[in-house]
Parts: sequence; C-alpha cells; structure tokens
Amino acid sequence: MRRKSLIASALAIAILAAGLTATAISAKPTKKHAGSIEVLSLWGGSEKDAFLKVTAAFTKKTGIKVEYTSARDFIPEVRTRLAAGNPPDIGILPRPGYIGTLAKQGALKTLSSLGLSNSAMAANYSAGWLKLGSSGGKLYGVPAKANSKSVIWYKPNSFKKYKFKIPKTWNQLLAITKKYKAKGLVPWSVGAGPSQSQWTLTDWFENIYARTAGPAKYQALFTGKLKFTDPSVANAARIMTQIINNKYVLNGVQGVLGQSFVGSITDVFGTSPKAQLFFEGGFVGGIALSKDVNPSLKPGVSINSFPWPTIKASLDHPVVGAADFAAAFKDNADVRAFLKYISTGAAGSIWVSTGAVTSPNKKVPAKSYPSILARGEAKQLATAKTFLFDGSDLLPGAFGDTWGFALQDVIQKPGNIKSILSTFQNKIQGQF
Amino acid sequence: MATVDSAVPITAQTRSERLVRMLSRTPLHIALVGIALVWLVPTVGLAITSFRQRPDVASSGWWTALTHWDWTLHNYDDVINATGMGHAWVNSVIITVPATILPLTLGALAAYGFAWVPFPFRDTLFLIIVALMIVPIQTSLVPLLKLFASWGHLNNHYYGIWLAHTAFGLPLAVFLLRNFFITLPKDLIEAARIDGASNLAIFRRIVVPLSVPALASFAIFQFLWVWNDLLMALIFVSDPSKQPMTVRIPYLLSTYGQEYSLLAAAAFLLMILPLIVFFSLQRYFVQGLLAGSVKT
Amino acid sequence: MSTQPVTTPVAAPPPPSEGRGVRAWSRFERLQGMLFVLPALVVLALFLIYPAYYTIRLAFYEGDFHFGFFHYLGLENFKQLLTNDPDFLDLSKFPPGGALVNNLRWVIFYISLSLIIGLGLAVLAVRVRYERVVKTAIFVPMAISATAVGIIWLFVYAPDPNIGVLNALLHGFDNGFHPIAWLGRPNLVNYALIFAYVWASVGFVMVVLSAAIKGIPAEIMEAARVDGAGEWNIFRRIMLPMLSLPISVVTIWLFINVIKVFDLIYVMTGGGPGTSSRVIAFTMYEETFHNGRPGYGAAVAAIMLVLIAPIMVLNVRRFRTEKVVA
Repeated sequence: MRRKSLIASALAIAILAAGLTATAISAKPTKKHAGSIEVLSLWGGSEKDAFLKVTAAFTKKTGIKVEYTSARDFIPEVRTRLAAGNPPDIGILPRPGYIGTLAKQGALKTLSSLGLSNSAMAANYSAGWLKLGSSGGKLYGVPAKANSKSVIWYKPNSFKKYKFKIPKTWNQLLAITKKYKAKGLVPWSVGAGPSQSQWTLTDWFENIYARTAGPAKYQALFTGKLKFTDPSVANAARIMTQIINNKYVLNGVQGVLGQSFVGSITDVFGTSPKAQLFFEGGFVGGIALSKDVNPSLKPGVSINSFPWPTIKASLDHPVVGAADFAAAFKDNADVRAFLKYISTGAAGSIWVSTGAVTSPNKKVPAKSYPSILARGEAKQLATAKTFLFDGSDLLPGAFGDTWGFALQDVIQKPGNIKSILSTFQNKIQGQF
Repeated sequence: MATVDSAVPITAQTRSERLVRMLSRTPLHIALVGIALVWLVPTVGLAITSFRQRPDVASSGWWTALTHWDWTLHNYDDVINATGMGHAWVNSVIITVPATILPLTLGALAAYGFAWVPFPFRDTLFLIIVALMIVPIQTSLVPLLKLFASWGHLNNHYYGIWLAHTAFGLPLAVFLLRNFFITLPKDLIEAARIDGASNLAIFRRIVVPLSVPALASFAIFQFLWVWNDLLMALIFVSDPSKQPMTVRIPYLLSTYGQEYSLLAAAAFLLMILPLIVFFSLQRYFVQGLLAGSVKT
Repeated sequence: MSTQPVTTPVAAPPPPSEGRGVRAWSRFERLQGMLFVLPALVVLALFLIYPAYYTIRLAFYEGDFHFGFFHYLGLENFKQLLTNDPDFLDLSKFPPGGALVNNLRWVIFYISLSLIIGLGLAVLAVRVRYERVVKTAIFVPMAISATAVGIIWLFVYAPDPNIGVLNALLHGFDNGFHPIAWLGRPNLVNYALIFAYVWASVGFVMVVLSAAIKGIPAEIMEAARVDGAGEWNIFRRIMLPMLSLPISVVTIWLFINVIKVFDLIYVMTGGGPGTSSRVIAFTMYEETFHNGRPGYGAAVAAIMLVLIAPIMVLNVRRFRTEKVVA
C-alpha cells in the first residue's frame, strides 16, 4: 500500500517536473533574439564549411550570430515551416524557379523593401544574374554564389601516362572512354541515387541539350515554351546514354542509381579510386580536395578539369551554370545587414578563397581565387559567350526533382525514352 | 533381461539415449542459434562500426575489428557535439516525457469513467475509441499543422507535438486501461462507494495503485512509440533547434552520407535508451505490445 | 484491505436502475464520472476526429499553400490518382508499378515472410531451454525506431564490400563479383526494404505465437505423438488450427504496418530510385509537402483510410463479441 502510494506520488512529481521543465525550456524565445539570424541552405560537408567562413567574417564585423540549418530536401522543410509560421530568416536556394514560386505565394520580401535598391544591385551584378533572382519584375534573390557546370574532371597524370589529349569534341571524349575501357579501367563514375543525387543527371542532359539543340531551344524548354516531347529532347537523352550505360560507368546503371554524388567523386578521386573520369560542376574541385574525399590530391597533377566538349560544332561551347540566391523570409535589421553583406565584394572574396565557389559579383577580383582549378572555373564563367542557367533549377515548384527522376528512368530503360518524356510533359503541363 | 519391476518409463533417459536425443536435435539447435545470431548481426555491425576510426571504416569490414581492437569514442564525441545530436537527444526526451504522461493521465481518467461509471452512450463512445485506435497519422498532418499554426504557432514550441501525440496515444490508453480496470474487484469499489468515497477518491486510492502494471505497460509502450516517431516530429516540430533525434539523423544522412562511423554512432545513440528501457522493463513492454496488438 | 461482503445493507435503498452494485448512482455522480471522460473525448474530437474530417474534405479540393479548401475538384483527385498517375498506380505494364502496387507487394511478402519466420521460430524455440534468449535476440529490433532500422540496413545493403555485410559475403564467395546495389535497383529495392522491416517485425510475431503455442494443452500433442503422428503432421493438423486466432491477430497487426509504413522508406531510399520504392504513406507526404499539392495528398490519405476501414470494423466487431457485459 505504501509502495503504491509512493509510486503514485512519484508519478505526480514526475508530471509536475516534466511540466515545469517543458515550460521553462519552451519559454526560451524561439524568435531569434536580436543579434542572430537563421540561414537555411542545402550544403553540408566542405561546402558548408566554406559558407561558415563567410558567416564567421560577418559575425566578426557586425556581432550578429548566424545559425546555419542544412536541409538537402529543402522544399518540404520550407513548406512546413511556412505553414507553421516559422520560416528561416534567410534561405540560400539553388532554384530560381522555386524562388519564383515562393515569391508568388508572398512568402519572400523584395530586396528593395530590405534596403537593397535596384541600382545598388546593378552595380555589383550583371543584368543576367539579376533577372534570374527576380519574379514578376521585382528582385527577391541576391546571387550569392555561382558555379560552372560545364567542366569535366580528369587525372592529368593518367592522361599523360596513356598519352590522351584533352578532348574537344564529344566523339573524342567517347574515344577516350573506350580506350580506358580497353585498358581494363572503368572510365566513369556517376552518382545519381541516394541523398537526392538525381540532379547530376539533369546536368548531363543540360550540357548535351545546349550543345545539340542550341541556347534558344534550351531557354524555351526550361521556361515552358517548348514541350519535353520535342524530338530534340529525346535526341539529347539518347546521347546521354552513350556514356551512361552498363559498359562505361562504374557498376553499370544500377551502380549509378546506388551511388550518391559525393560517393561518386570519391570513386574517381578518393584514396582508392575505382574510375577515371568525372562530370559535375566546378564545385567538385573544392569537394575533392576536402577531407570528405582526398586532401592529398595535387591540382594540375592528379586532378584538373577541361571544358565540356562540343557536340555540334556550330553550337560551340555554351556554358551551363548554376547559382544560389539568398532570399529573405522576414524583415528585420539583422536580415538586412546579412543580405547587404552577402552582396558585397568582400563577402564574395572570402567565399571564393575557399575554392568551393565562384562569385557572380563583379566586385570580386580574380586574385581571390586560390587555385588553378578555381581560377579556371571563374575564367570560364567570365568569358562565356553563351551562359545558360541550370535548366532543372528553372523549373517551377519541385519539378527539378521530378525531372531528375525521369532521367533516372531514361538511363534504365533507354528504349522507353519517348513514353518517359511524354509522362513528364503531362505532369508539368500548365505548371509554368 | 527385463524384470517385472524394471518398468522403463516412456522417456528413457539412459546416457546413450540422452546423447542420441541431443544429437538428433542438433539441427534444431544449429538452426535456432544460427538464426538468432544472424538476427543480431546487423545491430552488432552498427555498434562495432560506431566505435571504429574513420579511415578504418572505409578500408576494412567491421568484422575485422573483432580481432583488431582499435576502438575510439571519437565518433560519439563528434556526433554529440559537432553535429548537435546531443542536443537532439535532449529534445527527444523533452518531447517524449510529456507525450507519455499526458495520454497516460487523460487515458486513465477516461478509462475509469468507461469502466465504472454508467453514463449515457458510454458503450457507443467506447466503440468509437476502439475504432480510432488505428487511424493513420496521415489523416491529421495537414489539419493539425494549420490548427497549431493558427492557435499561436504551437509548432514553434513543443505544445503542438505533445498534443498530437496525446491524441494518437489516447485511444490505446483508454482501451488498454479500461480493459484492465474492469477486472478490478467489484467488491472493493462497491465497498468504497458505500463508504461514501467520491469517484476521484476511488480512482486515486483504489484503481490507480492496483493498476500499476497496466499503467506501466502503456507508459512504456507509449514512451517508445513517441521516442521512435519520425513523421509527426518531422511535421509538427518546425523549429530545427527543437527537433528530436529521429528527425536529425536523416539530415545527417544527407549531409554526411559517406561518414559511416558518424552515422553509426548517431543511430546507436538513438537506440540506446529504447534498448535500456526494453531490457530492464521487458515484461511490461511486451504486455503493452500484446495488448496494443491492434495498434501500430 | 478489508472487503465487506456484498450483502443487503441494513437500510434498504431503492433498487438501482442502472449501474453496478447496491448503491445507485446519483445524477451528480454520473455527471462527475462523465467529467473523467470528457478531457479525453475533447482531445480526441479536436485532434483526431476533426482532422480526419478535414482531410477527407480536402481530398475533394486542389488546396493551396495555406492548405485551405481552394478550388473544388470533385472526384478529380481520386480519378487522377487511380487512372493517370503512374507513380501511384501503373497498370499499363507487367508487373504493374506504382506506390499502391508496392503496398500490395508489401502485403504479400512482408506478411507472409514475417508469419512464416515468426511461426517457425516460435514452434522451434519452444522445444529448447534457452528459448527466452532466442526470443529476446529476435525481439530486440522491435524496440528501436524505424529510423534506426533504416540506418542499420543501409549499412547491411551498402554497395561497398567494406561496409555492406551482404556484398562482403558475396565478395567472399566470388572475388570478381560486382557489388549489388540492393537499394539502387528498382527491381530489388522493394524486396530489400521489405526484408529489413521483416527483420524488425518477426519478434512480435514470435512472441505472440509463442505464448499461444504454450497455451495448447500438451496432452493433445503427446497423445498424437504416442499415436505415431509425425512432427509435421502434428504441426499442420493440431497446432495450426488451434493457432488460427492468434495468427489472425498478428496478420492484422502486420497489415496495419503495411498501410502505414513510411519512416523506413523515408530514411533508406526516399522513395527511390526515382519513384520505384514509394508506398502510399510516402506518396501522401511527398505530394503534400514536397510537390505542394495538399488536396492530392489528402486524397491519398483518404485512400489509406479506406484501406484501413475494414480493420476498424473488424476490431469493433471483435471487441463487441468479446466484451464483458456491464
């Protein structure tokens, strides 16, 4: 009897204690106290470390703390938080298409309302970039970082060993692929599976499409003016499967679907490499050299990049690139200070000095770039005659992901390209 | 030569017969022990990986570590401090404790009413509760999100998820406890009523003390259920600094996907408390599970 | 604690019209009793019943980013789901595809595997003295979250032979073997996921059936053995029929698991590769929160309710017949 009443009182005390603790803890302000903001983006690992260097400098300068939240699957995260009335202060998002969707919902603040006038922005960024960060004629996103997606990574020492020349055309690239294979080496590694890595396939497609159908059709396709059932799309998808197939990729198509983006970099440049060539954007250099992969790489010797080869000679070298835009969900003094800082040349210089990114900011000097890898990428972006923004990131809503899924279907069933494309077109019809 | 009184019992147990019996059951033993071991392999593999050094993990299988004892606590240190899992662990506790106590309390009170107090529509209401036990969470996600947001941003605090878990734990609590309460000795309660005890007094002094096993069973079941929940926390805890471990670990996956040793440590941290609860309170947990075998 | 014998008290009160025992329940007491029940009912009504109504209603709309009742669509969402969404239901090829079909795969393989292994283990383990140890080993995965199960099996299935036990075993058998991406192949991924969940669920099956087996009178089985019946026949003709009720209880539990499975998919594959390992609970999440189509997601939730409704009816019916009458 006593024991049982002891238990009962223990229960009562526990309830009380839990209640008090919970109240005390949740009484801590969830609204960021003045002097701190929350930034949401997708980066992790070395890309995140690079960004944190920038925020550290910001904190040192202004005393405002920055909490970084990462979410690779950022769309549901943003959506639930908006519905809960608790969005992050700032989101640095890679998809102008998605930023447009958010702007239309009224979830974002215009840059001019935050103290960044159009003229101030125009002084630091070219019109092309500003247009990408706008929706409905108003500017919402500060172009924070950019990367070229038209570079292919290789091992110079390997090329030297086998006397390969840097390929300038697609056929030459295919020839090198076949030669590697003939020597018993696995030519490529592609990671388009776990950790939402299907976007890598979209980049393959975009580069091929730009080089076979041309910039005008590229723009039209990704802004809803051209249908995905157009024959040029199927054509580009088919060319993609000339390399991404069971013969030339590590572990075949199933390996592609089972490997993540960072995993595939490790396959080529890690300490026990399994393949020789790799395609993804300029940021690969920074990732490959970080502790995530292999810090003992020597730029120029064991790792370097060359520009994407041409396919149709007349279409030459359009550069496909991507950028992340910083957009604000809330308006307060700290948010304004941060956005202003991000738009300065100083912030850009710090960021590019990490070798992880290039800056679309006109005010960032070339000497800020730390290595030949980064300088090469910056040069390519700066001297591009034709610059095309990453197509899948231009698609509205979450269709960037859906397009990646469709391409995953394509590499598995190249015979079904037409039906896969028409299914996708049905989904995206009327969504622009 | 058999004698009359050397009647051999059916289960003859001479030495050789025992040996034969054991040997013929060897396949049985092998099968059982083998399967049990195989069942343990995945968990053990994870545990071992969590104690290994990073470069080792990538270059050799965890089974080799059984012979080379090069263990480290570094992964746990990293995971707790650098990636915020320690904080997330505390969040898990903060979410789980009230989300267990609330439905337990409300459920016990209601169960008493259903078990011992005659009121109109009692049986119908109880049947509705029985039906509600298996309603999928998906039917509440969106409306509750809206509701909590409009009630003052409950999602920014823990109130939202406490309420949600309470609601989903109540049907089972009421069902389980009511079924137990009606087995309590009628005489006891009647005697107390005759003595003039109020409902509350009966509840407090008779029903609850006698029902500790049932209360414990539900409490443990609910505790583990909430601790292990992912979907509700994903949707109803929008403040990243309040998210529990189950939500933060998939984030870890997407940003540190290659860091197997880190992931293993994080997963193990997530598992430790449930495992302790399970092993120390196994009986209650199993009882709760069996009684709740209509809920998932 | 003293108990008074229940006898007619000295002062005879009016005979009770309702309720238990000898003292009638006064109106006040009954109302007070209802107060016990009220908080729970309020919570349930607000946070379980009302949301279910809301979601079902939302299924007939398109919904907007405020999750409101925007743009009435009638049955359009359901039509689209069942006839025009290959990610949900694709009957145009063989074998059919889509999330709904995946749940069917789960129903068939998850339930049968769990039952077979669980029952087999229960029957075998009952004969050894270390039964409790075996039961514990098999049951442990029930205590851990689906997230942890997901991580554990991500490790097991990893394509790298240094991490993944499965591929390491295969590599051990045949050195030149290409590691299999168990989670990367659309034709394997669902079965890989199913088996991971079977691993976590067998413990429950085993414990329930083991308890039930112990409830079978030993004399019946001994008698059969003496009559010369083989073990297999005893199992088939005696044990199975006597276990039919517990087996049905377990099957229902497993079925509910199948309808609700989400966490494992979210952690291990995110529905991938592409959409090949999606299940309906995942589709609801994806469509509502990722693709921003709350009405569509609500329609999926409504379909989930429809699939679970027969179980709800079954539970209520079963309870009613077993119910101790007041």
